[in-house]
Amino acid sequence: MLEIQELSKSYGKHLAVDKVSFFVPDGQVGILLGPNGAGKSTIIKSIAGLLRYQGRIGIQGISSRTLEAKKIFGYVPEIPAMFDALTVREHIEYIRKAYSSAITDAEADALLERFELGDKQDKLGNELSKGMMQKVSICCALAIKPRVMLLDEPMVGLDPQAIKELKKVVLELRSQGVTVLISTHMLEMVEELWDIMFVMDKSHIVGSYRKADVGEKDLDDLFFEMTGGGES
Amino acid sequence: MKALVYLTWRSFVNNIKRAVKKPVTLILMIFLASYMVYVAFVMGRLAMDLRFDSVQGMVVLISIWTIYVFLTNFIGYASKKGVIFRPGHTHFVFPAPISPKLILVYSAWMNYLLSVAVNLLFVVAGLTVFGVELWRMLLFFVVGCILELLLEGSLMVFLYTNESLPEGVLKGLCNAMKGFLAAVTLFFVWYFYREGFTLESFSAFFDWPGLQMVPVVGWNIAAYRLILSGPTQLNVICTVLYVLTVAAMFLAAWKMKCGGGYFEDAAKFADDYAEMRKKKNSGEMVTGIGEKKKKFRRISGNYQASGAKAVFYRQLLEYKKERYFIFSKVTLINLIVSLLLAFAFRENAVESGVPQMFLLGIIAYMTLVMSGVTGKWEAELKSPYLFLIPDTPVRKLWYATLMEHVKALADGLLFCIPIGVMWRISPVLVMQAVLIYMVLQANKMYTKVVVQCLIGDYLGRTVQDLVRIFIQMFIIGIGALAAVLAGILINLNLVFPIVLIYSMILTMLMGALASIRFDSMEQMD
Repeated sequence: MLEIQELSKSYGKHLAVDKVSFFVPDGQVGILLGPNGAGKSTIIKSIAGLLRYQGRIGIQGISSRTLEAKKIFGYVPEIPAMFDALTVREHIEYIRKAYSSAITDAEADALLERFELGDKQDKLGNELSKGMMQKVSICCALAIKPRVMLLDEPMVGLDPQAIKELKKVVLELRSQGVTVLISTHMLEMVEELWDIMFVMDKSHIVGSYRKADVGEKDLDDLFFEMTGGGES
Repeated sequence: MKALVYLTWRSFVNNIKRAVKKPVTLILMIFLASYMVYVAFVMGRLAMDLRFDSVQGMVVLISIWTIYVFLTNFIGYASKKGVIFRPGHTHFVFPAPISPKLILVYSAWMNYLLSVAVNLLFVVAGLTVFGVELWRMLLFFVVGCILELLLEGSLMVFLYTNESLPEGVLKGLCNAMKGFLAAVTLFFVWYFYREGFTLESFSAFFDWPGLQMVPVVGWNIAAYRLILSGPTQLNVICTVLYVLTVAAMFLAAWKMKCGGGYFEDAAKFADDYAEMRKKKNSGEMVTGIGEKKKKFRRISGNYQASGAKAVFYRQLLEYKKERYFIFSKVTLINLIVSLLLAFAFRENAVESGVPQMFLLGIIAYMTLVMSGVTGKWEAELKSPYLFLIPDTPVRKLWYATLMEHVKALADGLLFCIPIGVMWRISPVLVMQAVLIYMVLQANKMYTKVVVQCLIGDYLGRTVQDLVRIFIQMFIIGIGALAAVLAGILINLNLVFPIVLIYSMILTMLMGALASIRFDSMEQMD
């Protein structure tokens, strides 16, 4: 589970996130929606431990700042940044060492094959296209075998096959009891994935829905109902 | 820890493999290493010539280095810019289950390497030039490596991870250090201007007991004095204080809690550093990491232009929005260099009777050898819009670079007029020199484009610049030779017009060749 309590973050005088709280239970897929500048990225970066913040972030009940929590936490940032001089395979190897991950060579091979990186294993980080970097980033996060996974705009730059594969992966993770939080603008891409949604606007969570409660209602309609846009 | 070691080791191996695959990089590295060895020899020779080659000279050098390194380290670490982080760290290292303190200490390995390398250099210099005994230099190396690195590491941890000290206090400390560094530099300049640049004046300054009493940095110098010149009451006491300080700082850093708050600054640094490298690689002028965003002025006005002319008016609009219009740091540098050269060579130039030839030589040097920075025109080539404009390549080249000619004219005026006035060169010749400066700058620009077309981006900007210099020297050299011959055989007044006309013809030809680059975006890599 992923638990955010009273999270606040300011950049100088600008309050980017104001006492935000939400909770994604075990084995559920949460989606974080909101217009540009709503504060989504700040929340994502805070969860990933990249920002100073006030409040509490819990991963499986442990503070996200601790090494125990980091060990079971996978993160796919919006803009992937590879190590220039490490090959694709070496990125996975680095993850295995950093997280003491139990991923085997055969599993790593299968993961790379799944995202069509099997023949790109020896390519260096600075030789990859943006789409390939995104695939490596996803593979690295999965190589951790996380209990909580955070994906920031994961579909941007991916080809249709990889998007299809990623959706399958998210559903598999859910069935394995992994908690997933996806931040995205591409509502149609997460339509069949979500269990719980949070909508942000102007530094606050302005609403949340559980899929079980809204029936067949479109994600688009729910989003625009809360943010008041979409009429034009 | 093993993940970080793996990361460093594999990056090192892959970089070496890449360097071997690209012989040009390897050749450049070897050339650079040889050049550094040569510089070391020259410095050694200089030390001997200045009668600086004694233990006392060594003490002076080490004292200067210690002051410099302590202050710059403090400023670097206090402003969270002392350790190099890359965007890859933000993605893969900061969120990983590795102690934030360990990440920090490990990531600074290049800083430690530099310290060790400098200490090694001191050992070699101590033994070969300064005649210090072997055991003293070995002891210096061990103490330098252990105590200095412990102090540096502790200082780094203290300044990066200290979340109890308010940011304002740290900023204040940092500014105070910068002020202190500037004051020390100014004091050095004033002192040596007054006392002369001799070993005696150096020794007198560094023998001043007060220097060793300055907390930490002075005590550090005292420790080196103890090792190199033997014990005195003062240096023994200060050395003990230094050892105690290092031990206390190390313990404090060891005990200090660190939850990774510095990741926010480190991630920002990583982005700024990547941006700085990108700018540097594309030839833009970079003055530091994390430059402030440019502020633009609001202007009113309406331009109407069609075809390639629109590029010129867009550039003009952009320059008008800039605070100092077409004037930049380069303009200021030009003016300062001009004033310095005018002052430094005024006697030689005026006494020679042909100061205009000195001016011509300086212009040629400035244009040919200095690589310069890219203006807006080079950014045009990276934009697909330029290639979509329905106009001829020659017109695109002309209008994309026209503003650069205007800038070159302004820079030329600022460069040539002070020299002309101080060297009493006739205004007509100064104006011709300005035009030559402008034409040669245009020639440099077009030759650069032609070289890019010829050899592509594969060999990098340094090789491109070397080829550009070679081509320019060759073709302009022919004209210059003809002008000099005409000057000697017929009349000295012919030199400037010949150089000007010849350069103009050549530049037009080069421009016609360079216009090919404006035809299609696709280029050889």
